[in-house]
Amino acid sequence: MVQAINDALAHEMRRDDRVVILGEDVGRVGGVFRVTQGLWDEFGDDRVVDTPLSEGGIIGAAIGMALYGLVPIPEIQFADFIYPAFDQIVSELAKLRWRSGGEYPAKVVIRAPVGGGIRGGLYHSQSPEALFIHVAGLKVVCPSSPYDAKGLLLASIRDPDPVLFFEPKRIYRAAKGEVPDGDYALPLGVAAVVRPGRHVTVLAWGAMLYEALAAAAEADKSGVECEVIDLRTLWPVDIETIVASVKKTGRVVVVHEAPKTCGFGAELVALVNEKAFFCLEAPPARVCGFDTPFPYALEMEYLPLARRILPALLETAGI
Amino acid sequence: MILWPASMPPPAWPGPPQIAALREDGTVAPSQGQELNNELAIALYEQMVLARETDAHLVALQRQGSIMHHASAHGEEAAVVGAAAAIRDEDWMFLASREFAAALWRGMPLAALMHHARGTASAPGRGRDAPAPPFWKPARVVSTSPLSATQVPHAAGVAWSARARREDVAALVFFGEGATSSSDFHAGLNFAGVTRSPLLAVCRNNGWATSTSADRQTASDGFAVKAVAYGVRAVRVDGADVVAVFSVVREARDRASAGEGCTLIEAVTTPRAESESDASWSARDPIMRMRRHLEHRGLWTEERDAQLRAEVSADVERAIAEAERPSAAPIADFAEDVYERMPWHLREQSQAMTPRGPAAGG
Repeated sequence: MVQAINDALAHEMRRDDRVVILGEDVGRVGGVFRVTQGLWDEFGDDRVVDTPLSEGGIIGAAIGMALYGLVPIPEIQFADFIYPAFDQIVSELAKLRWRSGGEYPAKVVIRAPVGGGIRGGLYHSQSPEALFIHVAGLKVVCPSSPYDAKGLLLASIRDPDPVLFFEPKRIYRAAKGEVPDGDYALPLGVAAVVRPGRHVTVLAWGAMLYEALAAAAEADKSGVECEVIDLRTLWPVDIETIVASVKKTGRVVVVHEAPKTCGFGAELVALVNEKAFFCLEAPPARVCGFDTPFPYALEMEYLPLARRILPALLETAGI
Repeated sequence: MILWPASMPPPAWPGPPQIAALREDGTVAPSQGQELNNELAIALYEQMVLARETDAHLVALQRQGSIMHHASAHGEEAAVVGAAAAIRDEDWMFLASREFAAALWRGMPLAALMHHARGTASAPGRGRDAPAPPFWKPARVVSTSPLSATQVPHAAGVAWSARARREDVAALVFFGEGATSSSDFHAGLNFAGVTRSPLLAVCRNNGWATSTSADRQTASDGFAVKAVAYGVRAVRVDGADVVAVFSVVREARDRASAGEGCTLIEAVTTPRAESESDASWSARDPIMRMRRHLEHRGLWTEERDAQLRAEVSADVERAIAEAERPSAAPIADFAEDVYERMPWHLREQSQAMTPRGPAAGG
């Protein structure tokens, strides 16, 4: 996946000279995960900027670049470090188009690695997507495969609105797959049904998609056919695909790494209740991280791995 | 046991000396201010009179409850107008809370400012941003929020972009001295310093951030001295002296063109005290100081001043009347421009906003 993201960035920087990258250690060293490797060598200081260590400064400066007419792609080294930039994202980036009546939109794509499972501890493992979904004016994307990562990143860069592009770092190198050399953008706001089934709808994204698929394969042995949906774009979410699936299955389980309370799963369950309540055969279920800081020593217990998802699938299916 | 000193020790690093040009008798100190041509000298004066009159009306409207908010710019006219006049048409400008006169200087019509103050649908941005600072896109006066200093890194980003694109364009950003306590001030100045970007950072130091005095914002000798830590030029100027402000900002702008990067300019103003006599204020009033200069040069008369004030007053009242015409925004409007195209959830919600009408957008 690292290669696919790097390929998308290089492709778009060659195609569009307004695209610039900025962040901590993104230049000479190519980022701590090497996602921007080689870009500084190819494009130089005026396109790839090693910035001072200040997330608020990175996003604030990126907003200025966007106002000027560039297309900045700032990297926040870990999503856990994004909070100093929260004010710039929430109060400025998300609101510029609205408050200026469309006269001063600021198009910025913020890339940040998210998620646990790399022994990163409580400050290198978080999944803060719900905080940004809650803010009017932002789009939130989280790919699960190299193919999707390239196509969704190209679409995010070309989309007119600010995008938070969350990269599941646990599968940065573990997720492998064919990625075409050429230009392809996958539309935002379109989910993928990655495993069709008729008994239980499973909503997942990022690294947890693979856990959901593993649990679905196990459930299949008990005769429970799960329909696993990779949301890909978290917001605006593909409500039609979700509702169509739940109307078919009558059952839904949401899986995410972030803490349960007020996580995105809460909104998804509420939406299902609003739009498909009378089709439901069982209470919607959530399999999530816990409402604690992310534990270094117990990360595999914290994460909603397949072994925690499977019982929820069987119970929701009434087995 | 620690023995705390009875009073604060003096700051370890002295700030730069304060530059002033206009003297009490209306002459200009040699080498402290550029000799302005007649046309510019008069234009600066007229713009300051317009700023004062506009401010007085906005204060009155706010006290009447006709508008929600206005931060008075009384006494700040020279710092604002002098700085705005010193940059170039192609430059960008970011306002804080008391610099509407800079937008007027750049060509924002008075009526647009009054529409903005009232939040009407005819205002720039369809009135959504009131009571934030005004913006005026035709002259690159950018939309800012009323939050302290968040606009400083934006201006640094604009300045960086111009430098990276090899375009001779600068960014001017205004903020109050209280904003220097924020992390965004630091981040913006530091970014501009490291990248040698053409940022003109104008700190209006009027001694007070709401109710908190400047000595509760910093232990340093003023605010210009903070530039030293960012490796950028520092200038402290008499902010009630429009000739001096114009001169130092013009010099900073020229240095930006020469590749010398960012300058932090502290414009020091002292608001009129409530009990201050007219005679005392007249000696300090930025408008009266410039008027004495014009009179000294033989460019101004009592009659012309009376005529100007009558014209300005009529202009402001006409603009206020224009903004009072009914022009309410359609109710569904506030779901537009959240995104470029309205997503499904906002289409649903905008139907709830307008239960009897069709949803706007799509």
